[in-house]
Amino acid sequence: MIRVLLVRWSRYNPYYLEPEPRKEVYHIPETELTPEQKEERELKSVRPIKAATNSVTSSVFNDPVLSKFVNMMMKDGDKIIAKGIITQTLENMKRKQVEKYHKAPEVKKAEIECNPYVIFHQALENCKPVIGLASIQKGGKFYQVPIPLTDNRRRFLAMKWMITECRDNKHRRTLMYEKLSQELLAAFSKEGNVVKRKHELHKMAESNRAYAHYRWW
Amino acid sequence: MAMQGGTALQEKVSRMLSRKHKKPVLKPNKPLVLKDEVANRKIKKGEATCVTEMSMMMACWKQNNFVDTLCSNEMQSFYKCVEKAQIAVKNKSEQHTIGQSGRLQPKQATILLKRYPNLHVEI
Repeated sequence: MIRVLLVRWSRYNPYYLEPEPRKEVYHIPETELTPEQKEERELKSVRPIKAATNSVTSSVFNDPVLSKFVNMMMKDGDKIIAKGIITQTLENMKRKQVEKYHKAPEVKKAEIECNPYVIFHQALENCKPVIGLASIQKGGKFYQVPIPLTDNRRRFLAMKWMITECRDNKHRRTLMYEKLSQELLAAFSKEGNVVKRKHELHKMAESNRAYAHYRWW
Repeated sequence: MAMQGGTALQEKVSRMLSRKHKKPVLKPNKPLVLKDEVANRKIKKGEATCVTEMSMMMACWKQNNFVDTLCSNEMQSFYKCVEKAQIAVKNKSEQHTIGQSGRLQPKQATILLKRYPNLHVEI
């Protein structure tokens, strides 16, 4: 595959600092800085800083969760197609919600959420499992032990389940963005296959709660 | 002083290897040479943290048929417990690496030994 965009190195000398893409940090006036922030500013004026990756921007539309989702959906490094699918998904969700909004009676209009980003975040939150299972060996046999998961792991599982579900369980001619928007709207209202999978994991963990003491951390 | 200790040990080893009096005590299949590393010590096996919170949350789930909104209190307490446990683990490991209380950590001993390894080729 031919690389069209510039790539920054991933191996830097350890004393290079990370770049700060958010604009609000630089808009704080001098007087309102805490001593730690002042120290940080002085350090940044002396030390070299790594180049920013292509995926981080200082625009208002930069969403780290959405970027991670796009990266997970990407195949063979084709970010353009993945980003296109996500934009089509968001547009599709907005269209469906606006249609619902205009058809609904006055009373229900306030409850319908039209912002696709809000729907996406809420749907992902609804898909995140609370505890996971780990295979732990005790006395020659392997048991599925319920363990607490880190935030990153939970977010990853939610995204992974969403993507695999949309890739595998769809009709022959539905496009990815169509299926994704259906699944996200279902997850937003806590129905659908992904939320079902989360509940099944919870049920497995609940049935194995006797093995919780096999953990050592 | 170390040399006297060293020769005494070598004499004892040669006595144990010899066949003069009775059967030799030692029959080594590899040369009797120390390695350039120290084995890692097993830290005490801890116990499962946050089991009470987890069991409370699961009881709540069982009652409410796994609906998440009704169990939000228990879930919040579980998350807080998990966070506290993670911070405790981090502090403990930090404290172990920094304060050794008179003894060298096995990893640090290995690093020092590797700087002056046993010579196996004649210089």
